[in-house]
Amino acid sequence: MKRLVLLAGATTAYLLAAWMVAPGFYDGFTPPQPYNFVCPPPAAPPATGPPQPGHADIKVINGVSDANSDFTKDGQVVIGFLPGAFNASGKTTVTVDITPVSPCPNPAGLHFSTNTYLIAASAPLVMASNILFRYSDVVPAPSFIYLAPSPDGPWKSIGGSPSQQFTLNTSTRELGYFAAGYSATATRPSTPASQLLPVAVAVLIVAVLVAGVPLAVLRRRREGDAGSDDDEDES
Amino acid sequence: MLAGYILLVEWARALFATVPGFTIAALVLGGAALAITVAGRDTGGAAKLGLGTSRLGLRILGGLTLAIVLLLPAAARASAAPILPASLALAAVAVSIGEELAFRGALYAALEEVGGAPFAIAGSTVAWTVAHALSHPPAFLGAVAAAGLLLGLWRWACRDLVAPIIGHVIADLAL
Repeated sequence: MKRLVLLAGATTAYLLAAWMVAPGFYDGFTPPQPYNFVCPPPAAPPATGPPQPGHADIKVINGVSDANSDFTKDGQVVIGFLPGAFNASGKTTVTVDITPVSPCPNPAGLHFSTNTYLIAASAPLVMASNILFRYSDVVPAPSFIYLAPSPDGPWKSIGGSPSQQFTLNTSTRELGYFAAGYSATATRPSTPASQLLPVAVAVLIVAVLVAGVPLAVLRRRREGDAGSDDDEDES
Repeated sequence: MLAGYILLVEWARALFATVPGFTIAALVLGGAALAITVAGRDTGGAAKLGLGTSRLGLRILGGLTLAIVLLLPAAARASAAPILPASLALAAVAVSIGEELAFRGALYAALEEVGGAPFAIAGSTVAWTVAHALSHPPAFLGAVAAAGLLLGLWRWACRDLVAPIIGHVIADLAL
């Protein structure tokens, strides 16, 4: 009885403690940093702040822009430039700015999983540059990164492949408005994958009940037959 | 000595897991390094570790019950719960089995020999919490400690490690 009371107390303590933090047992896996949305979806946990911009000053040496990268301060967008990525003739510095776009574009036929960012430079981009988008773990994973000359479009896919967890990257030869998302006609589960969790827990509860009752009946019957010789093998 | 080894493995695993491309390797190797703590000492056999096979049905049922408890707070707020990427599933299994064998298996047995069950429960819970200090933000450590206490108490109350292993594996696979 004492053991049952202690187990019940520990269970209650765990449920209370786990309820006070963001969902997830996270055993051994670093919890993903919350995504800072311009337009948060209903399922989004509290953000650490507003989405951050990025700024880089790229030196121009002998008319050739240096290798450099620009990233937002919250790491949600990173773009890398190779030497000579810009047509920088006559300049000493190329400035690159990444700015979160508000209000959020909502193009027909596309769902954006990330914020839209305007990436602009003070010189034309002439070489393919690698761009990486981080996305939230509470929204469907994007399939592609999209590019448009204005928030109103037209939006075109520039590809995208996952690199690290919750990131998508591709290369671009143009700057403009970027967002990661997927086609509205793409086959997607009707609910986010996280909706599977309550179903899984419900199945576990049913399994415990269905298996537990016959096990308890069998045990009682065996105890009745054999008296009290039900000793522990581990003690 | 044993606690020091386990902490070292856990912290190394947590640090290497943050290196891009090394996450899975760090978790699998870390899990294996934790699991060998059982082989590395005279534990008095599987039964003393709580790995006996008697009442296996009840042990499995206990594991499913522990999984329900561990997952319940996330399931109740499912829309905000992250799902473990499929690529990390094997790593999750490896690390959860390794952790249970190390904390509630080898370390618990060693501490119980020294100071009895209360010392073993408290000691394994403290070590478990400290071991997660690098992989979890401070705000999560209360929940981590509570989970360690629950699993440690189960280990003592039921003299069983099978259920904590099953519960831990399912919880890690689900989240």
